[in-house]
This record gives sequence, C-alpha cells and structure tokens, in this order.
Amino acid sequence: MTAGLLAIATLGLGAALLVPIAFSDPNGVDPYLARLSATSVVLVVAAFALRRLAPARPVLLALVAVAASYTLLSASPAIIRHLFGTRAPGFTTQVFLASLLEVLATMLIVVLAVRALPGGVRPDTRLQRVGIRPLAIAVAACVLLLLAGLALPAQLLGRFGLQPVQIARDLPWLAPACALQAFSQEVQFRGLLMGALERTMSAGWANVAQAAVFGLSHLAIAYGGPLAPFVPVTFVVGFVFGWVVQRTNSLWTAVIIHAVADTALTATVLSGLYGLN
Amino acid sequence: MHPRATATVAAALLTSVLGSALLPVYALAATSWWTPVALRGTAVSAVSASGKTLIVRTADGRTLRSTDAGTTFNGVAGNPVLSPQNIVRSGDDTWEIDSNGHVLHAKGKGRLQLDPQGPDLGSTAHLVVAPAASLGVVVAVADDNTVWRRGQDGDWKRALILLPQGLLRGAPAITSVTAFTQPLTGSIYLSTDGYAVLISTDGGDDWIRAGPGLPDSVYDLSADADQHAVYAATSDGLWMHVLQRLPSPPAYTDAALVWRWIGIVLVSLAAAAAATFAMMRLVALR
Repeated sequence: MTAGLLAIATLGLGAALLVPIAFSDPNGVDPYLARLSATSVVLVVAAFALRRLAPARPVLLALVAVAASYTLLSASPAIIRHLFGTRAPGFTTQVFLASLLEVLATMLIVVLAVRALPGGVRPDTRLQRVGIRPLAIAVAACVLLLLAGLALPAQLLGRFGLQPVQIARDLPWLAPACALQAFSQEVQFRGLLMGALERTMSAGWANVAQAAVFGLSHLAIAYGGPLAPFVPVTFVVGFVFGWVVQRTNSLWTAVIIHAVADTALTATVLSGLYGLN
Repeated sequence: MHPRATATVAAALLTSVLGSALLPVYALAATSWWTPVALRGTAVSAVSASGKTLIVRTADGRTLRSTDAGTTFNGVAGNPVLSPQNIVRSGDDTWEIDSNGHVLHAKGKGRLQLDPQGPDLGSTAHLVVAPAASLGVVVAVADDNTVWRRGQDGDWKRALILLPQGLLRGAPAITSVTAFTQPLTGSIYLSTDGYAVLISTDGGDDWIRAGPGLPDSVYDLSADADQHAVYAATSDGLWMHVLQRLPSPPAYTDAALVWRWIGIVLVSLAAAAAATFAMMRLVALR
C-alpha cells in the first residue's frame, strides 16, 4: 500500500509541476517550484489532519523535504539579492548560502519526522552510523565513479572540458555548496524516503521506489548539460546510491560519493545555450 | 528472472521513458542557432567569408567559390590559400603566433613585438583571435590543445582544457577560433572535431556549448562582419549562425506574474485534492 500511496503522491506532484508547463510555458521557468512545494505542503498537512491518511505520513514528509528544500535552494539567491541589493554577495556565495538553507530545511523535517511519527514507521536515516568501512568504500567508489564518468561518452553528460579560470573563481564556493546539496538530497531520498519505505516493504523494493522518485524528481532541475539522458542516468545513480547505503548501513557513503560526483559535474560540464540544448 | 530484478528493470524503463518524453518540454528553441547554407552531405574542411563571397575547401581537396552567399558554388582553379589563422588584425592591433609559438603584438603600423607575458604555445600552434569589441583580449590555442586567454590587463591564463570524448577516444582537436574584427560583439567562437562549437562571451574565462543542430565535427569557422554571421565548415556541409542575442529565460512581470501566482494556487490545490482523494480511496480499499 505504501508504494501505491507514494505513486499517487508522486503523480500529484508531477501533474502540478508539468501540466501547466506543457500548456503555458514551454521553457519551464515560471515559478513552477512554488507549485511543487505548495502541493507537497498541502498533501502533508492533509495527511496529518486526516487520520485515515496516517500510513502516508512518512513518505509525504520525505516528499515535502525534497520539494520544499529544493524550492528554498532555487529561490534563495534571488531572495538574497532582493534583500541586500547592491550589498549582496557574489552569485557563488549566494548559492553556498542557499545550500546551507537547504540543509537546515531538510534537517528541520528530519526532526519533525522523528518527533511526529511513531517508532514503527519512523524512517531510519542511518545518519548516526559512521565508520572506517563506509568511508573506505566511499573513497573507492569515488575513484570508480570518476573513471566511469571519463569512460562514458562526453556528449552524454556534457563533460567537455575544464575551465581553469572559472574553476579558480567559482569552485571555492561551489564545491562546499555541492557537498551541502549532496548531503540534503541523500537525507531526503536515501534517509527519509527509503528509510520510510523500508518499514513497510523489502529493502530491494524500497530502493527501486526511491530511485524512481529520485530519477523523476530531476525533471524539476535545470541541468546545464544534455537533457535526454538526465532522468535515466539519475535513476541508475539513485539505485546505486540506495544499494550502497543499504550495504554499508551508513548514509555517509552515499553523501561522500554524491558530493564528489556533483563537484566533478560542476567542474567539467559545459552548459548549453539556454533553451537550445 | 527474479521478480525484483524484473521490477527494477521495469521501473528503470518506465522512469526513463517518462523522463525522456517529458524533459524535452524544457528545451524548445525559440529560434534556430545554426542553419545549413549549402553542400549538405559533403565534408567541408575550410571556409572564408567576406560579404556575399564565400570560399570553401572540401575534404577531397576541391576549392569552391560562391558570390551569392552560398546559393551557388563554382570551382576555383588551383589551390588558393584561404585566410591564415596565425595572424589577426583587430581594430588597431595585430596579433600573430610566430614559428616558435610565441605571441607577437603590434599597435598601428608599429613593429611586431613579443607580448611580455605571452605563453609558449609550441611550434605548431597557429590559432589566434582578438575580438574587436574587447580590446586587448586575445585567445590562442597551444599545440597541446590548451586554450589560453589574454585579459585586458595583459595577463595570460589557461582558459579551457578539453576532456577526452570517452574511454577509447582522446580529446577532440581544436580546429579553429574566430571572432568579429569589427566591434559587433565580444563573443569568441571555437570549433572542435568532436564537440562542435563552443562560445565565450567574457573574453575566454567561461565557455558554453553553442552547437545545437550542428554536426559534432566542425573543421573551420569564419566570422563575417558584413553579414553579421559566423560560417562553420563541417563534416556535413556549410552552416551559418546569424548574430543574435544569447537565448535567455523569459521574465514574467506585473499582470502575467499575478495570474501565474493565482494559477499556482489553483493548480496546487487541485493536484493536492486529487492526490489526497486517491490516497484515501486506496487506504479505504485496503
């Protein structure tokens, strides 16, 4: 039943995100994330207001963590500019601060989940499990991942080159921002969502379900690289991250790999012309 | 096959199909960035454009000339040299890469002199460009395929290092670099035999992909200020990009934005209500 509830909620969020875009704004730059967040918040409020929807609360909390914190991440740079005007810090600093806010929002929902959900359905985020073995596996996986990234055709990812001037200027802020965003997303998908699903279904099914949501959630992200392989690749990546978390029983393995992968993509993907990818 | 494995493959396929079908929604182009001019199906290795006169060289060694902007081409006897790429005149400046791979600079009718902070580009380096709209900015390609840029303060830095195309294929060769020698735009265009065309609009610091629609193999570029156009000699004919603003996201203001926010509320409520109703039905059925 949990899988059905997750599917329905995901369909609802997908409809809120995509239907207006298909009819009114083919470039998808209207405040679509606000729709996504508003829908996820209304759903979770309904689930807590209606006792019958109690079984849906864990997955809906995970989805609101995904949608609302990503909206905060995307909107924060504009909010910072609006608040501070000419005294606002540079864009990469804004992204770093926005990533910090995303972490805070995500952890707020983790606290809410721990406080509001009974022990039997409370997600196991595996955040407290740190050890040498998970860290060693993370380092080895990072090396493998970077080699795989170089082995894959460059056109698939858009990883065409390194830009030393840009890297020296931007990466001191963007690399920590990538690490913070990776932490948030791992807590949301492999911590809250997979942890909640594992309470009601087998580990394998829980991983498949969270990977599907992880892949589809990338529909809402403005990726600078080629779009066509984005969702399939992120489904596979999400599945592997989930598998690694389950095998090592620690979220930190996936956090480290995810952070390294995002930083590598930030450093090597050459963006395309807006709307002409 | 194990049921879980079957379900995983099915979920991957479903997610992929859904994603691939929906994502292109975001990528609708407002106008075409490159358009074919002529010689489709023919590999063109070099191009030189000046007004409506285009001279191209095909990969099989023929030289063709058009005097009507590419509508018709006629053969040219002999094998005339197309414009050299190791020297560029931009405004009052002349920049040249000498046979030792050093960058030389001359102001007005002055003598070419070594640019003080210029890098050693290698003896086979021959690609240099200087956009007239950004005086002092120069981009040059070293013989190890590294792109260097000179800032307006005279400081040279490595600006772009291309990565390998895959496991068994190295980095693509940089085949050409061009910019307008009249102050139309400060954009710098760089062609590659594998990654199509890259563009920098800030003097070489940042590069983006600018080859949507073009074949991956681009062998030469020529910027023509008269036509406000950049021509690309590719593995599949001659292409043209007419100067235009970089595409940017639309901005919504005033009434349009108000209606969008009202729409956001309505769509969110409708989607949430439908999902809540469906979830309650599902829970009731169980």
